[in-house]
Amino acid sequence: MAVFDAEKVQGNILRGYPLDRVRHMILEVSDRRRAREFLAAAADGRGEDVPRITRSANWSERPEVCFNIGITFEGLRTLGLPSDELKTFPTEYTEGMTRRALKLGDFGESAPEHWPAPFDRPDRIHIVASAYANANHHLDDIEKKVAKVFTVLGTRDGRNLPDGKVFFGYRDGISQPRLRHVFDPEHAGDHQIKDPLGTVLLGYQTQLEGIKFTIPTPEDVFRDSAFNAFRVLQQDTGAFETYLTDAAHFLESHRDVARLLPEGAEQNIGGGMSRHDALREVVAAQMCGRWRNGTPYEASPNSDVQDGISLTNYDYSLSSRCPAGSHMRRANPRGGPIVQRVANYTRRMVRRGMSYGPDPETGEHGLLGNFIGANYGAQFEAVMCDWINFGLQDPGITGTNDPLLGANVPETSRFDLTLKGGGHIRLSGFPRFVKTRGGAYTLLPSLPAIRYLSQLTA
Amino acid sequence: MSDDSGWLNSYINSLPERGWFQFLSKYVVVPFWVWREGRPKLPGGPRPSPQPSDNTQRMMNLLMPLKDTSPIGRAKAVMALAQNVDEIFAGLDNVGTVHSARFLLVEDYICMISVYDGDFSNYIRDFISTIGSVFDALMHEVEGGDKLYPSEENVEAFIDWVREHDLFQAPDYPFDLFGLQDEQAGRKPNDPPHDLQTLPRSLILQLHANRNISLGGGYRGYPGYSAAQIRRNLGVGW
Repeated sequence: MAVFDAEKVQGNILRGYPLDRVRHMILEVSDRRRAREFLAAAADGRGEDVPRITRSANWSERPEVCFNIGITFEGLRTLGLPSDELKTFPTEYTEGMTRRALKLGDFGESAPEHWPAPFDRPDRIHIVASAYANANHHLDDIEKKVAKVFTVLGTRDGRNLPDGKVFFGYRDGISQPRLRHVFDPEHAGDHQIKDPLGTVLLGYQTQLEGIKFTIPTPEDVFRDSAFNAFRVLQQDTGAFETYLTDAAHFLESHRDVARLLPEGAEQNIGGGMSRHDALREVVAAQMCGRWRNGTPYEASPNSDVQDGISLTNYDYSLSSRCPAGSHMRRANPRGGPIVQRVANYTRRMVRRGMSYGPDPETGEHGLLGNFIGANYGAQFEAVMCDWINFGLQDPGITGTNDPLLGANVPETSRFDLTLKGGGHIRLSGFPRFVKTRGGAYTLLPSLPAIRYLSQLTA
Repeated sequence: MSDDSGWLNSYINSLPERGWFQFLSKYVVVPFWVWREGRPKLPGGPRPSPQPSDNTQRMMNLLMPLKDTSPIGRAKAVMALAQNVDEIFAGLDNVGTVHSARFLLVEDYICMISVYDGDFSNYIRDFISTIGSVFDALMHEVEGGDKLYPSEENVEAFIDWVREHDLFQAPDYPFDLFGLQDEQAGRKPNDPPHDLQTLPRSLILQLHANRNISLGGGYRGYPGYSAAQIRRNLGVGW
């Protein structure tokens, strides 16, 4: 096995940055010679006019600015990677995100045909460059440097919301795969089994027994690269809050409501609230799998008080109170019972996201997400097409979609709330709360790969 | 063809039955068509669909061409399976999404015919991670199988290979073939719309690219149910 060297890995893969703003720049390579010079300078931090690529190695001091790049298949072709090497990349990446739309649930309003510029022209998207900083002027500065070499087709700015929350009001980013060989004090208390490096990086053993994913050619160059699904996900928070209110009205008069939330338990939710508001929060918590403050529903079904409850250490069972259809259980079923018995823990990926918007004109807001792994088919797509949508992992939810992220339509959507002592109350009629508004499949090349691309001559 | 009963029309209508015309079609007309406007090969397996009912009980008709088609070669392939049948069935059981699977030796192919739920690449990947080393024995007897060895380190290529050798499933409504051909050639489907009379020609050209096909998606006795749902409802545990 190759010896792992964090200096070869881009910094946004193995760890999140302690920086609160991001600017994703969607770039076209209009002059491949100058683009290669840029890559060479970025890889090794040469020249005032080119930002240096941030690595994964431990920093001696906190960086003010971080900079990383992802390259699409069209980008590799445009940079001049020869066709016999292009052929060694996996099919999902070669086809690109827009041609995988049906598998990803990107249909109806989320279909790529409806994506706004620059995502309406996926053939022109060659590079997604991301700059991270706390101050906007740092981001402007980097964009200026980038724009001297590339055609900037568009940008998307993101920021961390207060308390680590997303617009739906949940605390996010609590659980991440913990990787062997990686120093990660932030997630040290998480007792879920550790992931091998092959979960995110090419060239290492994976969580699937015996399986190693193929490194594109030349192997010594593309080892330590990763694949990223960059997604622009619009969140319809208005529709979500409205639905919670409707659901609470429906539940208040339901004969089984005391088994959903015992009388008086509303005192222990959100610091004490009305019965109606507490029922709204119960629906939100069961749909997500966590209360909005992050407390796992599985560990605490009648209260969101965090006293002594681990945010990460719990498991699911056949009698779980956390619904099998909840977002978190679909995305990571942990050690719980699933139909695909060999698949527990095998489809995890690294998620890094920041919120965007609201747009001053349209009010559009949502999440700019990076979903990083070593293999789209085994991780991102597998989770999207069989677990988030369709629900194949549990016969009780098969045929339904994730209540938060799924490709729902009110005519067919349904979600079963669990009750104390078994049984359920079925909710239905909710719309799609998250719409896809853009994205791209990008390779996050290793540092040797960036240098290799910068030296192409075709 | 015309309904008019004139002698010329009658003669033209009878052309497909005439020997000289069949000869001409087989050796001149069809090869010319293929050269002029051949259709790209259509991919195997069921097509992605947003409908949950389309995602249960999907059919796999995997035709694996034998390297050695002599009785000895055929026997080797049979032995590779027969020696490992328990492991293979246990592997399929652990994948969890398979309704049924069987192996056939037909002409020059070892065939794996199976019914499964959800995405086929997840099925194949989980299968390989469970019993890949056992399946490798069979792949040694199959044309093109050597470069997939060991399957555990060539999962992507293995999955692409299976898709390549899984039969194209002709659409349940014949005229839907036009749209699939358009998409495969990178055109917008049915824009402009196709003349229904050209369907036989399109089918002939497609059968040139896809020699063996599945006629439609297949019949389901209890549509929309996953293997796990059936097991659960029968009380046999999923």
